[in-house]
Amino acid sequence: MSTFHLEIVTPTRVYDEGEVAYVRCPGIDGLFGVMANHTKSVFALTVGEIKIIRENEEPRYFATSGGYAEVTGRKVQLLLESAERSDEINVERAKEAIQRAKDRLSQKQKIDVTRAESSLQRALNRLRVAQR
Amino acid sequence: MSNLKDIRHRIGSVKNIQKVTRAMKMVAAAKLRRAQMNMEQARPYAHRINEVLTHLLPAIDRSLNRLLEVREPEKVGFVVITADRGLCAGFNTNIIRRATEILKPYKKDDTQLICVGRKGLNHFRSRGYNVIGQYIGFWRELNFGHAISIVEQITDLYLKHDLDKVFLIYNEFKNVIQQKVITQTFLPLVLTEDLVEEGKVDFGEYLFEPSEEQIVNSLVPRHLNIQMWQALLESNAAEQAARMTAMGNATENASEMISDLTLEYNKARQAAITKELLDIVGGAEALVHAQG
Repeated sequence: MSTFHLEIVTPTRVYDEGEVAYVRCPGIDGLFGVMANHTKSVFALTVGEIKIIRENEEPRYFATSGGYAEVTGRKVQLLLESAERSDEINVERAKEAIQRAKDRLSQKQKIDVTRAESSLQRALNRLRVAQR
Repeated sequence: MSNLKDIRHRIGSVKNIQKVTRAMKMVAAAKLRRAQMNMEQARPYAHRINEVLTHLLPAIDRSLNRLLEVREPEKVGFVVITADRGLCAGFNTNIIRRATEILKPYKKDDTQLICVGRKGLNHFRSRGYNVIGQYIGFWRELNFGHAISIVEQITDLYLKHDLDKVFLIYNEFKNVIQQKVITQTFLPLVLTEDLVEEGKVDFGEYLFEPSEEQIVNSLVPRHLNIQMWQALLESNAAEQAARMTAMGNATENASEMISDLTLEYNKARQAAITKELLDIVGGAEALVHAQG
């Protein structure tokens, strides 16, 4: 199977994933997958899960809160606002964040609803990916 | 010959100064560690965003976002990033010198300055430049919000046609003993010729998902914020490094001065003792002669 180079870059860290066979990302309009020799493209990503497949290996998962993917034939760069590998996610913290966001949303006071909702989405996503 | 008391005084004051410079060096070293870490963490992301934008620039339709407009540069803006404080060798003066150089070909009325850091602000305001923005006293609690507010002011002016071109001048952290003054065209977003020559620009077509417009409208502002943020992080780390080195040198120089002065002091002391001995011996001799 032909492979391509995958790199995940966030403002705090770089994950060099090396040669991979397939990556699935959460695009704004839905999930999409990339394999080697994909046409040159740029995707906008949203909150969700990134799945990476290497030959003869278990798939790997990352939780992200969105960003961009630049795809060129032999290389894919994911420029993400945040990314956490499934085994690095702090489940306790994700649960706390979910609780916090829910509490805030249940208050009837004036709050930034979009902000609370998106932080809830991010936390739920982290939890989901952690349980992979 | 200076008298003993004077020399003692000078040694004392040099020692006091040395205490101050040594303390400043240590404070800068502690701050540097954090600043350098923050800067190095953020670097790859900032460079990659810049790279992606560079790749896309030839492919995208510039009419999609007004920030991509390229106009005749009549009104030019300068973002000058210095420190709030001095005692960091050439850190501030290098920036001010470079900024002055670039400002020279323009008429003062056509230029507007945004000063980040008190040193640059004081310099340019007192010389009658149009300072339209000032961001001072925030280095200690530097965060992404600062970059965003600076960029907001710039893009606002750019969209209102109050600025046609914006330069960014800051110190890049090369290593602990070296800073590099960087002049960067912040707006309009254009490809630099050296990039084109190096073959880093690939004039191919791109596929955009969900749409070219959405990508451009989110990527361009994000790119500007990130580049500004990186410039602030670089400058902050470079400042601490410059101060640490400068204060290290000052401490060493003080040591040298103290040992020179101590030598002089001892010589003077010896000379005084010798003189006293001569007096005593001379007196004793005289007495012997008188008795004899």
